Amino acid sequence: MKCSQSYVELMHKYLDEEIGVEEEKQLKNHLNECSSCLNHFQELEKAIAFVQSTTHIHAPLNFTNSVMNRLPKEKRLVVYRR
Amino acid sequence: MDALIEKRIKQVKKGDQNAFSEIVELFKDKVFQLCYRMVGNRHDAEDIAQEAFIRAYINIHTYDMNRKFSTWLYRIATNLSIDRLRKRKPDYFLDAEIEGTEGLTMYSQIPSDDLKPEEMVESLEFQEWIQKEINELPVSYRSVIVLKYIEELSLKEIGEILDLPIGTVKTRIHRGREALRKRLRKI
Repeated sequence: MKCSQSYVELMHKYLDEEIGVEEEKQLKNHLNECSSCLNHFQELEKAIAFVQSTTHIHAPLNFTNSVMNRLPKEKRLVVYRR
Repeated sequence: MDALIEKRIKQVKKGDQNAFSEIVELFKDKVFQLCYRMVGNRHDAEDIAQEAFIRAYINIHTYDMNRKFSTWLYRIATNLSIDRLRKRKPDYFLDAEIEGTEGLTMYSQIPSDDLKPEEMVESLEFQEWIQKEINELPVSYRSVIVLKYIEELSLKEIGEILDLPIGTVKTRIHRGREALRKRLRKI
């Protein structure tokens, strides 16, 4: 049996932290009873965890220098003042 | 932090280029990461991230000091990334497989013997696999997923960066999550 799409919508509301107290109770009760929705919910949580597990990567060495070298030439006035 | 950025931007607006290098230093990793997760390779990411800073510098007079600088900067970087993706052949990022990887699945890429879950997640193969899966998402979902789950921005900021109403941002995040769920559940 396929459950109503409204439970999937509640899952997304939950994940966006926009679920109300009553709705959350309703969702949790349903997940206790319905293994296919529970599975769906766990797959969503796993997908998010995987994406969040991507290690933070850093800009290449000399990045700032490369940018600064590509900027248009500075206005003469400011160079003069320094 | 915000006060420092504000000060540097005022200096840049007066034409002081040195002040801009500090801004690049502060934001380079975030901007590079955003571009990398969007376009999927370091070479293009570096090119686009540099271009984003150069455009920010040239157009600094259009930046409204009352708004968050990072949002403005990320918007430039995101738009450049999306432009770059559009210029590629459409099938390149929609469903084409990368040359030489046909038929490869997560199972064939990960050494399966006795890796603990946390070791697996940290492995280079896993990281490359996740990036590949992110790259398979349609651009409209990819951008919201990257901004929300990798850059950890609020829905409001994401809306400002992509110039979309919050309702649309939410719908795309929901669909993006469902698309990821279908792709990632096999493991």
